[in-house]
Parts: sequence; structure tokens; C-alpha cells
Amino acid sequence: MATHPKFTEMMSMDVADSTQVYAAFLVYLDLLEGRNWPEVTCFGLGELQLVCLQGRERETESFQVVVPTPVHMSFSHERIREIMKKACAQLDKPDSPLSVILAIVESDSTIVYYKLTDGFIMPDPPDDTEDKDNKQWRKKRKKLFK
Amino acid sequence: MLRIHVLAGQALVWRFEDAREIRERHRLVGTLVGALARTPRQNVRLGLPLQLLPEEARLLAEMGAAVLVRSADAQPQGQSAQASEGQLYEQGLEESYQEQRRLAAQERWAQLANLAECIAQGRARKQQQRGKLPDTAPLPGPTEEQEHLESAFVFPHESMMVQLPTVWPCPGQEEQVDWTQPSRDWPHAGHQEHETRYCVFRDLWGRGYYVTSGSKFGGDFLVYPGDPMRFHAHYIALCCPPGAPLPLCDIVAAARLGTSVKKTVLLCSAGEDGVVIYTSLQWSGLQ
Repeated sequence: MATHPKFTEMMSMDVADSTQVYAAFLVYLDLLEGRNWPEVTCFGLGELQLVCLQGRERETESFQVVVPTPVHMSFSHERIREIMKKACAQLDKPDSPLSVILAIVESDSTIVYYKLTDGFIMPDPPDDTEDKDNKQWRKKRKKLFK
Repeated sequence: MLRIHVLAGQALVWRFEDAREIRERHRLVGTLVGALARTPRQNVRLGLPLQLLPEEARLLAEMGAAVLVRSADAQPQGQSAQASEGQLYEQGLEESYQEQRRLAAQERWAQLANLAECIAQGRARKQQQRGKLPDTAPLPGPTEEQEHLESAFVFPHESMMVQLPTVWPCPGQEEQVDWTQPSRDWPHAGHQEHETRYCVFRDLWGRGYYVTSGSKFGGDFLVYPGDPMRFHAHYIALCCPPGAPLPLCDIVAAARLGTSVKKTVLLCSAGEDGVVIYTSLQWSGLQ
């Protein structure tokens, strides 16, 4: 794996320590192979010592920034804000809200993705329970009329 | 002026008018923590007092809508004073018992008098059935019978009604507490954690949200778009003191929990200038 051209490219950027680069490489593989992203590129953020990725889920969607990190790290809220600002500057979309995807890599190479966005993002509405209730009610009625 | 009683860092509101005004006028919710006198063995529904978060109490005090007070005679009194209070209470109970017994006996007598005719007819019929001649012995006079009833009347102690006061019958002296200074009953002033939480709380409240304690979901606050009786919470707010490191596992735990209950986790930090910045945190499946 150490000879993979992308890995050597990330290492040669010389912005982050090897654990972060390794995490970035795993995320790179997961996005391309596991989640079938059409294209993923990488860039270095020297002052934050991070290798970040940029790509999109489908050809029709807009680019997103992915920030890979090993799970044992701790970020303060300020650092998270800084990462969001610096990374989104790369996207060259000044009017869209600040947003990055944090990719957290476990030591067994499990990866979980969390979306970080500036401001308040409304959650999805809770499930409509009406349907379920109706089904249960129909079942009940069936039983009664048997 | 609302009165908020503080005791060892807890803020309590005892008057129902105050509790109502706090909710309806100031959009602050608090938690009812008192057991209901008629249903003490449950905690689904609770009554006064209303417990306020330290942030809620401080907001009300800072707006000038409330004063924080503490009872001046919180220290235990002398033994004799307590003993006499107990005796007085016992004496009052006994008097109440005697009065209730007398009234119950009277009522029983009135009932018997009402049915006197029926009872006499019934007796006569029974004696006829047994083939006896009507009793010639004179019946006891009504006054005698009443006396007999009153002396033999059984009124068990368990049937007695006891009044449980829902307000303190004899309020003592109260003294005002300065919320800007830390003290025994208000230790929050000047605490870094309290200051951070308060900044976030005031900002969220100022944006029109209803904010309650977030301990149910492992956060600092739950943020509702309207009255919590009518809405689900939208956000779980986590207050990050400036510069404090957030382990990524904690972020994963909070965000995963938030996603599974359909809420967004909000990282909240207050800057030096009092401006609060928010970062929404959501699980992203990327499927």
C-alpha cells in the first residue's frame, strides 16, 4: 500500500504526520471504491497540518470537502471552525454556507462520516406515525370481523 | 416581581402565579419537581415547586423580572421551639378529630331520624312473623337513644380528614440574594462553565427558541422551535468552553445519538465579544 501512487503523492505534500496521511488515504479509497464517488482529489492545508479530500457523490452534485482524521484526535470548537473556513476556501464558493464532512477513521479502518455546517440545520421531520397506526388499526379490524 | 427561592444552588418557584408567568410571558419552562399530594407514588405528573436552571433564574434576575431570595431562618431552630411546634400540630389534629367525630355522629343521628318510621314498621313486621305479640315494653326515648349513639359511635382515626397545606402556612423571614456575587446558596456566579452556558442559553432564548435542560439527551440544552408541549426539540446544544478540546469519540457519540432521535447536535461557543457561534453536526451515511 505504501507504494500506491496516491499515497506517495499525499506523503510528498509533506503537510501532515503519517497517521493523518494514512487516514486520508483510507478515506480516499473508501470514497472511490466503497461509495463509488466519480472523482476525488486531495489537497494539503499546511497551517492546519491536514491532508483533505475534495469530491462529489455524483456527477450532477456539487463538490464537497472531506476532512479525514484518526479517531484518537481531539479538536476544539475553534479548530473545527478554522478547518471549515480554510477548507471551504478551496471550494471557491463564497456564498454557500460553510460545510465540511468529517471522516473519522478507527484503527480497524472503520470510517464514519459526519457533516459539519455553520449555523442551524433543521433535522428531518420525525416519521409520520399515521401510516403505521393505520396498518395496526386495519389489523385490529380484521381480527374483529373474522 | 417574581420570587425565586434559592437553596444550595437550586432555584425554586413556589407560587403558581409566578410559575405561570415565567412560562407564558417569559417563554421559560423549568421543571415541576413537587410530588402531588393526592398521587404521591408516581412521577409522571408533578406539581409545584417549579425548578429553574441556574441560567433561567439568572436570565429572569438580569431582566429585572425576578429577585432571588433565600429564607433567613434556614438554620435549625432551638429544640424547644421545634418541640412546641410539634405539640401544637398534634393538639390541632386531636381537636380536628373530636370535631369531625361529633359532626359524623350528628349526621348519623339525622339519618336514623329520617328513617325512624321505616325502622319501626320493620320491627313490628318481624315480631308479627315470629308470632309474638307486639312488644309492650316502652321504646327508649329519642334523647336517650341519641346519647347512646354518640357514646358508642365508632369513628376510626383512619377515616379522619387531614389537611395538607400546599403553601407554607407560616413563611419566615426572607432575604434577597445578589446573583452577581457567588454565595452559599448561589455558587454559580463567576464560574467559567456557568458563564459559557449562560451566554449560549441567552442567545438561543433571544432567537425565539424554547430552551430546556438537555440532560435527557446527554447535552447541555434541548432547543425547541415552540412550546415543548407542542413541539419536538430540533437541536441538542453542546456548550464548548473556549479552547476546550473535544475528543472525536465524544463528537461521534453525541452526533449518532442526535441522529437516532432526529435532532441536530449544535456545537455552541461564545466568543470574547459575547457573539455565539453554532456548528450543526449531523451523521452522513453517504450511501
